[in-house]
Amino acid sequence: MTQILIQGFLLSGLYALMAIGFTLIFSVGRVLNLAYGSYLMLGGYAYFYVSQALHMPKLLGFASAIVMGGVAGVLMYKLLVKRLAGDQVAVEISTLILAVVIQAGVVLVFNDSTKILLPIVNGVWRVGSASITFNMLAAMVASWVILAGLFVFVKRTHLGRAIQAVSMDPKGAVISGVDTDRINLITWAISGALGSTAGVFFAAYTQLNPSMWVAPLIIVVAVVIVGGIGSIVGSLIVAHIIGFMEIITTSLISAQMRGVFTMALIIGVLLLRPQGLFGRSDL
Amino acid sequence: MNPFMKLTAVAALALSTGLATSGLSHAADTVKVGFIGSFASDTGRSTLRGAEIAIEELNAAGGLNGKKIVLVKADTHEDVTEGIKAYEYLAETEKVDFVISGCIDDVSLGWLPRMVEYKIPTLDTWTSNIGIIDKLVSDFDTYKMYFMNVATDEALAALYVDFGKDILAKKMGWKKTVIVQEDTAFGNAINGLVTQLLAPEAGIKVLDTIVYDTATVDFSPIFSRAVDSGADFIYLVASVNSQVVSSQYVKLQVPLAMTGVNVSALGREYWEDTGGAGGGISTLSPIPSVGFAIDDESAAFVKKYQAKYSDRPKYPHFNGFNAYFGLKQAFSAAEKAGGFGLDKWVPAMENEDLVLKKDGKLWLRYAFWKPGEKEPRTGRTYPHNIKFDISPPYDSGAPSMVVVQWYEDGKAKVVYPPKYANGEFAVPSWVKKK
Repeated sequence: MTQILIQGFLLSGLYALMAIGFTLIFSVGRVLNLAYGSYLMLGGYAYFYVSQALHMPKLLGFASAIVMGGVAGVLMYKLLVKRLAGDQVAVEISTLILAVVIQAGVVLVFNDSTKILLPIVNGVWRVGSASITFNMLAAMVASWVILAGLFVFVKRTHLGRAIQAVSMDPKGAVISGVDTDRINLITWAISGALGSTAGVFFAAYTQLNPSMWVAPLIIVVAVVIVGGIGSIVGSLIVAHIIGFMEIITTSLISAQMRGVFTMALIIGVLLLRPQGLFGRSDL
Repeated sequence: MNPFMKLTAVAALALSTGLATSGLSHAADTVKVGFIGSFASDTGRSTLRGAEIAIEELNAAGGLNGKKIVLVKADTHEDVTEGIKAYEYLAETEKVDFVISGCIDDVSLGWLPRMVEYKIPTLDTWTSNIGIIDKLVSDFDTYKMYFMNVATDEALAALYVDFGKDILAKKMGWKKTVIVQEDTAFGNAINGLVTQLLAPEAGIKVLDTIVYDTATVDFSPIFSRAVDSGADFIYLVASVNSQVVSSQYVKLQVPLAMTGVNVSALGREYWEDTGGAGGGISTLSPIPSVGFAIDDESAAFVKKYQAKYSDRPKYPHFNGFNAYFGLKQAFSAAEKAGGFGLDKWVPAMENEDLVLKKDGKLWLRYAFWKPGEKEPRTGRTYPHNIKFDISPPYDSGAPSMVVVQWYEDGKAKVVYPPKYANGEFAVPSWVKKK
């Protein structure tokens, strides 16, 4: 039981971190960015290249991952999403295709073999049969800090309130003088940076692989659908539900069934409560 | 690979093979060798490169009775359907005289009926599937054009039982294990060998079997469950992306020793692939394995290989050696038989025998079991399988496998059987010794 609690909290923290950026975009732009998993992949590879291949300081690796994610977000918005504005299906299909193209690009640059990222923070604690890596602890702490920071940013700053306004009522925001295009651009940049930050932790915990964007995408989609449109608190709670569900399934039922209950949860919520468990129309 | 990538890859393959081969015809003054295997995997590349070097040397020595030997290639993408198409391409479009394969089990099993249909002499250098040799046992005339110069998994298992008895049970004193196994045909097959053969013969009890999906990237709950089982050690069976499970074992510092079959640990790139988080892992391996001391002829092949290729795999896997020596044997047999006609070539290939010595002792041997010839320990026949030796002192052939240990300093050594051992079986530093 102890190991389920520990591993459940650690994994949930990582999932929450992964989902924040996706939730943000969904809330502000009402767009399912299916290339979001690519931010995680790009962040992981940027960190790997700088800190492990070039042997530069880890902090620089982190910075390059954040910049990479932010730039990817901006480019995605400017070159794709903005031009397809209003057509959600086109945006979803094109972001999915973009993810495949990015994957092919990563294969070209880094080849398709799996790479292992060394822990960002070294060390392991043992509690019973559970191993607590400092790396996962750092991911969990980072997740909470970023969530708190994002909450404060959205609620207390002028820019955050503008993002909130666009998420609640884009037309109303325009009438109030908010430059929605600028807000969208900033939100995509923040989302990309958050995704790539999560990618560094995710890759350090699991692996680096050109197809690694798929699994996180499924998780974040589940978090958003089950949590409810754009609800940060909802995302946080659902990240914990999914994280714990996966650990309990693996530990007590079957390791092969790990992702099945997540899928069942998505279908169940779509059928019974399409707006999500904590659905709201704003942040 | 997702559907989009697969579609793109298939289109690219179709285009590239079409472009690469258009205009080529089977000229009468050439002999064609077809390589079938994955172009992207280390194992596929090892066979391909071993074949390329052998052909260079054969051509430098005059080719086959004055005919130049040319190599054509077909990519299987490690996929059964693609593998069948690749064999058909080699047979029908390229009209090859001989096929050398670096395929995985499932793919070889897939194209085997095509081989029978086209009657092309074929040498497999990677798959160890006993089912293929069983086909020769039951219907030799139909399958007689097939040769496999890696020991079958059954022969491999026989020696691995010895390792279980001598090292795991006797030396380490381990009595209980938990199997952590990927959900593949390979995983199920090895699980069967461990539960039905190794465990009962070595007196080791299997407490639990944890089967995981090959897409698994988080092994922490799996390792926790393994630790909770009360086992003395983990028996890992992993062939797909197995560097992930290895590196997480190290990163999580799982307090149980882990041995078994770990395919990623068979290559020199393992250390790099795990980012250095791969120490303490041991695996059985066909030979010549990583960490295996090699004879002069094999060393000369490695020297040529490393001078010619700079990208991975930087050191050939066992099947690279098999392709190099096996292809030379196939052409030696063809020279004696006056070509690759089955009636004369098959008996000639059966008589090929290359003994490689080290310090005056038999070290490796490339020869084949003849039809009807019984292996003394198992009492059964292995027609056209490499002539392995699974009884000490291994003086009539090379052993079917060795156990390789990766240490925490990044070095790899052979730890079993004793004749080939140059290191000691060890548990990682964070695991308490019993």
